[in-house]
Amino acid sequence: MQPREDAMSTLVEPTITVGEPHFGRLTPRMAAWREELLDTPQSVCVERAMLTTETYRIHQDEPMVLRRALMVQNVLEHMSIFIEPATLICGNQASANRAAPIMPEYAMDWVIAELDEFDSRPGDRFLITEDAKQQLHDIAPFWEHNTLKDRGLSLMPPASRTFYDLGIIHPEGNITSGDAHIAVDYGRVLREGLAGYRDRTEELLTRLDLTDAVQLKKSYFYRAVLITIDAVVTFAHRYADLAADLATTEPEPGRRAELTEMSRILRKVPEQPAETFHEAVQAVWLVQLCLQIESNGHSLSYGRFDQYLNPYYSSDLATGRTTPDQATELLTNLWLKTITVAKIRSWSHTRFSAGGPLYQNVTVAGQTPDGRDAVNPLSYLVLRSVAQTRLPQPNLTVRYHRGLSDEFMAECIEVMRLGFGMPALNSDEVIIPSMMSKGVAEADAYNYSAIGCVEVAVPGKWGYRCTGMSFLNFPKTLLVAMNNGADPKTGTPLATPVKHFTDMTSFDELMQAWDVTVREFQRHCVILDSACDIALEESVADILCSTLVEDCLGRGKPIKEGGAVYDFVSGLQVGIANLGDSLAAIKKCVFEDRTVTAAELWDALATDFAGERGAQIRQLLDAAPKFGNDDDYVDTLLVEAYGSCIDEIFAHTNTRYGRGPIGGRYYAGTSSISANVPQGASTMATPDGRRAGEPLAEGCSPSHGADTHGPTAVFTSVSKLDTERITGGVLLNQKVSPAMLRKPEDRAKLVMLLRTFFNRLHGFHVQYNVVDRATLLDAQAHPERHRDLIVRVAGYSAFFNVLSEATQDDIIARTEQTL
Amino acid sequence: MVSKVSSNVGRIFDIQKFSLHDGPGIRTVVFLKGCPMACAWCSNPGSQKLQVVQVADGLHPDLHGPDSRDYALDEVVATCLQDLPFYEESGGGVTLSGGEAMVQHRFTSSLLAALREQGIHTAIETTGYAAPAIFERILGEVDLLIIDVKHWDRDQHRRWTGVDNDLPLQNLRTALAAEGPVLVRIPVIPGVNASLDDATAFCRLLAPMGVREVQLLPFHQFGERKYELLGWDYAMSGVSALHEEDLGPYMAVFREHGVRAFV
Repeated sequence: MQPREDAMSTLVEPTITVGEPHFGRLTPRMAAWREELLDTPQSVCVERAMLTTETYRIHQDEPMVLRRALMVQNVLEHMSIFIEPATLICGNQASANRAAPIMPEYAMDWVIAELDEFDSRPGDRFLITEDAKQQLHDIAPFWEHNTLKDRGLSLMPPASRTFYDLGIIHPEGNITSGDAHIAVDYGRVLREGLAGYRDRTEELLTRLDLTDAVQLKKSYFYRAVLITIDAVVTFAHRYADLAADLATTEPEPGRRAELTEMSRILRKVPEQPAETFHEAVQAVWLVQLCLQIESNGHSLSYGRFDQYLNPYYSSDLATGRTTPDQATELLTNLWLKTITVAKIRSWSHTRFSAGGPLYQNVTVAGQTPDGRDAVNPLSYLVLRSVAQTRLPQPNLTVRYHRGLSDEFMAECIEVMRLGFGMPALNSDEVIIPSMMSKGVAEADAYNYSAIGCVEVAVPGKWGYRCTGMSFLNFPKTLLVAMNNGADPKTGTPLATPVKHFTDMTSFDELMQAWDVTVREFQRHCVILDSACDIALEESVADILCSTLVEDCLGRGKPIKEGGAVYDFVSGLQVGIANLGDSLAAIKKCVFEDRTVTAAELWDALATDFAGERGAQIRQLLDAAPKFGNDDDYVDTLLVEAYGSCIDEIFAHTNTRYGRGPIGGRYYAGTSSISANVPQGASTMATPDGRRAGEPLAEGCSPSHGADTHGPTAVFTSVSKLDTERITGGVLLNQKVSPAMLRKPEDRAKLVMLLRTFFNRLHGFHVQYNVVDRATLLDAQAHPERHRDLIVRVAGYSAFFNVLSEATQDDIIARTEQTL
Repeated sequence: MVSKVSSNVGRIFDIQKFSLHDGPGIRTVVFLKGCPMACAWCSNPGSQKLQVVQVADGLHPDLHGPDSRDYALDEVVATCLQDLPFYEESGGGVTLSGGEAMVQHRFTSSLLAALREQGIHTAIETTGYAAPAIFERILGEVDLLIIDVKHWDRDQHRRWTGVDNDLPLQNLRTALAAEGPVLVRIPVIPGVNASLDDATAFCRLLAPMGVREVQLLPFHQFGERKYELLGWDYAMSGVSALHEEDLGPYMAVFREHGVRAFV
């Protein structure tokens, strides 16, 4: 999904609120802390870097898994800790909130190269002190030719490396940071405590026959697990001590009692099983945090939060230990903690993940394993608390299913009305059968959760990156196919030459060239993915994460060596709609209507539609059928062309194939995050009329402004895609005007629209952005970019573009009031 | 051109999917050309003439294009059927609007028949200005009739719409006497029928006829720019739009007369 980049900087309280907001307000202390966090600039913390370097220097001789465990131990035992005055739960990722730790073992080249620009980037700025820069310079030599990225690059075969160097295939995130894109089994952590995992590991370790080399190798992993568990427990106890110390000097009796209780809780969890809601939330947070200290991969997700935590909430409610308001405050506290976690990425990767998102997903609703509606009182509290904090994190996903009540959906729409793009809806109706068809057990399929944004996996049983492997730029692939297999910009040969577009005499020849080229490109994706995966497996195992994912302990190896029960991955195909629109425009203008010759089109693309003829050609291309309008002309072309790539994707396996997990395979995925922007920036003009450098379409959404027939047509077009095989996520972002959400009867119709999409058309995902004032102002200034923008009044709806300026002004003014 | 319009060919200026305020559920609205009225506030002025008119392109005002075209019956039905799952899930369907959908009454009848044959719920939005025989026939062919009452006063009606209100009111009585559901709508237009005295007069007209519920359509300026694109004069230029919250006292008058008014 496209996170709301501006959410952090432009959050304002509703200007007109008659009475209380629907979801109530944050408690004063959480409100004040939220403001403080929003005012806190992002910065860089070097503690993790220095402590890691220290461990790696001393323990270069240790097996990699033990070195990783000792690193986590050193960091958790020695990093700075603090307890904020407002918080009820403890755990900080770095020496300050919103400070990103540098994790040198993944990559240091970009850190050093970009050090002086961290605080002057065009976006995602990070403050850094001169002292911190010096410390990083000091450790840099140790990491030369000694990082994950170095290893990954050297493992890339030369022919595939070209694709990386030219930016056609983008696995940057995979070798400059850790994996993540995973949810662990928090339910089990709460039920058994880490002590339960420790007992199991000790038992397994004692049973090993170390004369067997395979078992000897397992012993290193088990010892690493024990070190890591103890490190997390020590970390918790450090907070218990700190809270107790603070309590002794705390003058205010209420806060003193809280600190005393926090100290008690952290002495107990996450080591021992949780018994109260407060204990459970604390345990989840501490583990969620440690996983993000161990690795800086993102999309580390909470899983089915309402399911595993509701027993603790319900029981506390029954015994009077908590109230809904107290529980809500605790949840908002957790979300504020969630937003303190930061990640700094290389500038080239930042552009693929604008807004510094960590994509820590919380999933609610869905069904129980026996197919009943799983909504419980805590599901409502999650909506309420997320609505109160109104922050880009956590990423909230609601699992839709046929039996989801209108009442709960109405609450979801109330959250949407707040205009921060949440919740996303994922549909059980297509995801569960799709998983089961790939060999996932029924009970597990019913227990899936969203990971990061739109992608899905079974928490605690699934390996990393159910999506998030390489990004493949579809329009650029098409241009190479048209250019006889060579990169149009550099002339570098990239694929088997078929024929140059200007020599093609039929549309079928183009489809043939596309088929050859995209299959070859996809094979390079797999090669690059595997090179990265080998490097990750050999260099940076995550011991804590592996401990909490079945069946790593049973198999005695980390996730990356095949420890997970399931291990399916997907890359990200970017520019889906541009591909369909380009093919349709070529077919229509060049081969059917013959209004443009192939040579003219190629020239127009090369010159970015320069000159009068260029402009004419662009207009002709614009007028061709576009994806998102329920027009089979273009929709079927897209399905066929994407199908070539998907066939190839399904032909390949990942590095865990045959090593334990069910799967070890690929499927397709489209959750392009913000990759559509940089990938568009490096792509010349395309035959859909898109100008050079303009963003590509996001996910499976229609190209910007191309869907002029309303949401039912968009849903129907998207539903024609091969959703069954795009398990990595069929991402669809939709806009809705606030007026559409003002009246209950209209909101009810939106629910009907969604139910049709999911129940009847096998929709996978949809997320609504409420059109805000800024968008309307932009539409007024640049109508060509907002051809799809529909506004409504009772009995009438109209495209925004055709309204007079005065009427547009009126709508803009009223939009501000609603939000 | 006009001669082409028949029971199998309709002149249509827009087919709008995902319409929410033209009958129950999610609907597709088919806007048919031609209208016997010329309301001063009309938000689709191009729709009044049955013949195709040229309009400047909204994005490229120097370009001109036709405002409508002729559709074969099959094409309209196929387009409507594209959203069948949405109608079924939401209890929606297709609404014929205009212009005045009874101008091309042969096409309207055959379209209604074709849609009902597919099991699609149908509605029609009408000014009520049609020959009684045609009105009565179409009334029997549609699941829901939505009929406008533009003004309570005969002369004022003529002044603002170009025709008097005898025929619409006669047809309204026919519709109310028939069995099917009827929704009465009043466009509330500043300076035309928006005073509280107007509200009282509407009630005195409608309540005795048995109307218990009316939908008010507050005046909006969504059509303003279309006059500009057509190069036509616009009587309501610069008049402020009304919003639901402006209609409180107006609605109260209806309530006092035992008629439920809603927006």
